[in-house]
Amino acid sequence: MRGAFSVPANLFAYIVCAARKSTGRVVFFTALREKPTGLLFTARFPASSMQKIQHSLRARRGAVIFDELRAIQLRHGFLPKAELEDLSKRGQIPLYQIHSVASFYPHFHLAPPPKAEIRVCADMSCHLNGACELRTDLERRFANARPEDVQIRDVSCLGRCDHAPAASINDHIFTDVTAALAEQMARGAIRGEEILESHPRAARVECKADPYGDAKKYGVVRNLVQSRAFDDVIAQLKASELRGMGGAGFPTSVKWDLVRKERDPVKYVVCNADESEPGTIKDRFIMTHLPHLLIEGMLIAGIVAGAKRGILYIRHEYHLQEEILGEEIGRCRRAGLLGKKILGSEFDFELEVFVSPGGYICGEETALMEAIEGHRAEPRNKPPFPVQAGLWQKPTVLNNVETFINVPQILARGVDWFAAQGAGGSRGLKFVGVSGHVARPGIFEVPMGTPMREVIFNHAGGVRGGRQLKAFAPSGPSSGYLPASMIDVRLDFKALAEAGSMLGSGAIVVCDDTTCMLDMALNAVRFYRNESCGKCVPCRVGSQKMTDMLVRWTQGGVPEPQYRADLALLDELSQAMSLTSICGLGQIAPAPIQSVLKHFRAEIDAHVLKGQCTSGICFTPAARAGEAQRVGIRP
Amino acid sequence: MTTATTPPGLVDITIDGQSVRVPAGTSVFDAARMNGISIPTLCHLQNQTPVGVCRLCVVDTGARVLTASCVRPVEPGLNVVTNSEKVLGARKTLLELMMADHPSPCTRQLNSGDCELETLASAAGASQPRFAKRTVARGEDASSLAIAVDHDACILCDRCIRGCDEVKNNFVLGGMGKGYSAGIAFDLNSPMGDSTCISCGECMVSCPTGALTNKGVVGTAIATGPGAQGFEAEDLLQIPVFKGVSGTFLELNRGAIVKRRYRKGEIICREGEFGSTAFYILEGKAKVSISTPIAHVKTQGGAKGLFKRLTSTLVAREEDKREEETRDRTIPIDASVDLSYGNPVAELGPGDLFGEMTCMNFYPRSATVIAESDVVAFEMLRNVLDIMLKNKSFRAQLDQTYRRRALENHLRGVPMFADLSPDFIEHLKESVELQRFAPGQAIALQGEPADSFYLVRIGFVKISENYPGGEMVLAYLSRGDFFGEIGLLDGGVRTATCIALDHVELVRVSGNDFRQMMERFPSVRKGLEAVAAGRLAANQQRMQMVHNVPIDQFLSQGLMEAQSLLILDLQNCTRCDACVNACADAHDGVTRLIRDGLRFDQYLVATSCRQCRDPLCMVGCPVGSIRRRNSLEVIIEDWCIGCGLCAQNCPYGNINLHPFEVMIDDPERTGRKKAAIKQKATSCDLCTHLKEPSCVYACPHDAAHRVDPRTFFADMLGQGHPK
Repeated sequence: MRGAFSVPANLFAYIVCAARKSTGRVVFFTALREKPTGLLFTARFPASSMQKIQHSLRARRGAVIFDELRAIQLRHGFLPKAELEDLSKRGQIPLYQIHSVASFYPHFHLAPPPKAEIRVCADMSCHLNGACELRTDLERRFANARPEDVQIRDVSCLGRCDHAPAASINDHIFTDVTAALAEQMARGAIRGEEILESHPRAARVECKADPYGDAKKYGVVRNLVQSRAFDDVIAQLKASELRGMGGAGFPTSVKWDLVRKERDPVKYVVCNADESEPGTIKDRFIMTHLPHLLIEGMLIAGIVAGAKRGILYIRHEYHLQEEILGEEIGRCRRAGLLGKKILGSEFDFELEVFVSPGGYICGEETALMEAIEGHRAEPRNKPPFPVQAGLWQKPTVLNNVETFINVPQILARGVDWFAAQGAGGSRGLKFVGVSGHVARPGIFEVPMGTPMREVIFNHAGGVRGGRQLKAFAPSGPSSGYLPASMIDVRLDFKALAEAGSMLGSGAIVVCDDTTCMLDMALNAVRFYRNESCGKCVPCRVGSQKMTDMLVRWTQGGVPEPQYRADLALLDELSQAMSLTSICGLGQIAPAPIQSVLKHFRAEIDAHVLKGQCTSGICFTPAARAGEAQRVGIRP
Repeated sequence: MTTATTPPGLVDITIDGQSVRVPAGTSVFDAARMNGISIPTLCHLQNQTPVGVCRLCVVDTGARVLTASCVRPVEPGLNVVTNSEKVLGARKTLLELMMADHPSPCTRQLNSGDCELETLASAAGASQPRFAKRTVARGEDASSLAIAVDHDACILCDRCIRGCDEVKNNFVLGGMGKGYSAGIAFDLNSPMGDSTCISCGECMVSCPTGALTNKGVVGTAIATGPGAQGFEAEDLLQIPVFKGVSGTFLELNRGAIVKRRYRKGEIICREGEFGSTAFYILEGKAKVSISTPIAHVKTQGGAKGLFKRLTSTLVAREEDKREEETRDRTIPIDASVDLSYGNPVAELGPGDLFGEMTCMNFYPRSATVIAESDVVAFEMLRNVLDIMLKNKSFRAQLDQTYRRRALENHLRGVPMFADLSPDFIEHLKESVELQRFAPGQAIALQGEPADSFYLVRIGFVKISENYPGGEMVLAYLSRGDFFGEIGLLDGGVRTATCIALDHVELVRVSGNDFRQMMERFPSVRKGLEAVAAGRLAANQQRMQMVHNVPIDQFLSQGLMEAQSLLILDLQNCTRCDACVNACADAHDGVTRLIRDGLRFDQYLVATSCRQCRDPLCMVGCPVGSIRRRNSLEVIIEDWCIGCGLCAQNCPYGNINLHPFEVMIDDPERTGRKKAAIKQKATSCDLCTHLKEPSCVYACPHDAAHRVDPRTFFADMLGQGHPK
């Protein structure tokens, strides 16, 4: 049942109706005391009215559930059963549906949380910056604490990779965390003190990408509603060869044109601001400093593609950016740029911010739409693609934050300017986040096509502490690891694909010579295991079995025949996961270990067979102490 | 490749080098199966929406990755490879992954040897997985009385979830958690036994592994009582009617079937009672009858003049001939015989099955069955009956009995068939086809070529016609009704869509036989033509009504279903309840009107029969005694047994049961009478015996009106206010 509403018919009996597109039927059933009791009858409607009915049913029900759950959690600190039962009655939502959603998102607690819940980021950049040690230290400090007072757990990347290690205490995020600081906060929380999260506004940073500077903003939209040169917008995007900046690199002009040509009167524009790939922090920067370009990009998409509603899907860890965008949207409304009849034209565009209930998988475009619709964020089988049947099965333009901000740049300054911004034959500017073992981690605006050497050594200040570069991931775990010898590869779709990696989301993570590559591969696979939605077998089970295998490997001393058999099995597993997983998460999950086996084979062999760690960090007492958390299943 | 020669609506694709042509919209999986190429799957069931999660059905379409064939629609020119090394290798790895976490052999494999995962794994050589086993058990749930849950055997194929929510609309089962720790959960992850689960068993029969299995206790409750005798599967298999039934099934369903002995005079079942079992007589004879008086409720004035008093009494057809009751109808009951109006008694003997409707569709018992001699019978629950009905030999025997004993009555029950000659009846007895339909299954679709004529034997068939913006239910047909004549008589195209509402059995007369019948028996032809013309005219008239009305406004409140509404103008109404009192006065103190209901603008739509276009009350009547007059008014026939199902079915609470004290045959002591309260269903009769409805007449403020909602609301919407 996708959507339903009910009409009180008399005191006890209700008629509830649910519309199903697959069968083209509206199903009416009775409900006694607000619980469905029996099928009454079904009616078949023609496709046109069916769509109308179904869309209104879904839109009524979809997004409400998260607001309700958040409100309950705000009141009680968790989701008490009685409240959920009450919600089920009020909202005519079956209990199972509430539970399946609430249990999917880590943001929701189904049991009372402890007074202090410390969650240490466990992924790439934080892992490289002592997250393991931080956690072990904290566990030691709270060894005698009662579980109802304090619990220490892992958490997936919090998007603060430039200030690693990061941790959240009672959902308040802290960066550059030390054990002492975390302990102090947690002890305060146990005493009942409120935790204050300070997120000071950074000073404005001038970006080359901003075509306006101090001048009047939204010039492109102002011109566009006058000129109505929509074909020209598509043509310019096509000429610019702008590609999606979220990871997949799909040509933007093609996507917009497909949605534009769809006949459906209802369409959507969705911005994917749910960057959650470890190391990815560029969208956070863009939303902080260029919110007007993002809104303008979405507005242009709406006007060109014929969508009247935009949804900005932002990860829930970005409170500050939520605020900034909220303020900017308010300004736009007052200036007549959003709402009915934009700038006096006949175009309507409403923009709202949707705060993600959490999880890396929500960054997958169809999972993101499922989340907006109030479901478990499980990716859909494709086709149909979002351009035909996206949000609420309507044609949808879905782009990454950085893709949207490129559009006003190109339209304001022309394709030639855009092409000239790149280096070495590439086009445009690229925001990259550099983290890990570098001297100046942060977000940098560089020409597309810049050699990786320049990004790491010039912009990010090179490897920290004067150590040697060992490896780098061009875009988080998904891109796999490249060895130091490939440092001259250019930051470009084609160049990185040829290097067996990918441009992805520009999340450069740097590893110095004290890094154990097997450990990094395990860290990455474990991330995928934790973040798998569990919908399809290869990803759900495969990521766990791969983790199991690598855990065994990291312990060393594997007999050679066993290791050979494991290698063959790993290849089969990688193949099956890449070929049969529904979405990119499962398809890419084998990339880190495969890249490490390709580039650092000797190191892995020594590690697995002989128990020798060339970087000297494994097989130490400290490493063994941290092992427990690597092995266990995510709680 | 699809070429210029591909007919519209069809798609040409290639599967494993074989060119196949299938209807557009077909999945690759179905296209392959239709052409004899089998693709393995665990998560796909033919009666559920495909979800593509087990990934076993992946095929190579030349793309970067493999594609799940169950969710992939065919495209012109698609080249599909289902059995390359790449595909088979990926499938084997997937099976190994699942087997690594599978408690092999699981409960299903142990009980019946049909765990789908283990079967596929052993066929693919993946029974000995090389992956590490699951270290943390996910647990078992033994809290349900009927179904055992083993979360470790769950492969999250989503079949139980779809079975519960999509197939059965019970909305209990859902997914839980995320990733490797995901599982299935009941309600808010309650133990199954504490959840709102009604143990319908759909999840269990949908489950491919041992995650949800039968505890084998279903129906222990029925294996008690008089003369009960439980069974071991081996004993049952010795009995001829169980020939061909799987022993595993009987083992699992031990207790869902019981052999009972009844002494002479003992009551086997009573009319109007709810039940869930069917009976199959092995030995002895039983009498089937209706003990509720065969009469309807009549309201009439007592003394004349100033002191006129209204009373409701039970009167039979002979005393009060209502219009349109010319045909001497037989009363359809839930057995292989029909009862006649004049003498509602019949006999059942060995080999007769009765209570099928009660068992399959949970309708109340339609008649009382009393043992005439000592009787030995099987009493069984739905799962056993269902499997027996699927059993060809048992089926054949039942069909034979039906053809021999009831088909002739049944055919002759249709008034215009009365003239058929005995030899033609004999011919039909052999040539008709007996068909079964599951709930929701389409029997015929509007616009399809018509090639058969149907007689309803069991269940309810919904006849509806599409019109722009909706669907109009023309009729609900039950036992003894027929349909399909319009399509055969003119044009050869179905004019309406016929859907089985529940477990439906039909007698299908082929187009050839039908035409032959028309030629040989002109009187039958004349009769059928008259009926067809009447039905068409009535349909046309109804369609006319819906065309002028804005649908949206009414859909939301069910008002568009109504033919006639009692509305109270709240601007005038003082809530004095004079209307309710008047209604009660007019109907022996039992009001058929409640001054409460939906509001529409300034009008209250009082709870009173609306003469719906889609009269849900008619669905499920075990004796088919509620029907529509040609004027569309809903009336209740004389043989109402007072079971109350129609009152329960009416979503607007507009049917009430009116109690009468009557003398009936004492079932315990033959030949004696005893007083009993018998109920008859009543609904607003619009006070047809009076000049205008009492409620309208009684209203001192001119607030109550009986209106036709279409003109009333159309006027209101169109001109602001109605007159």
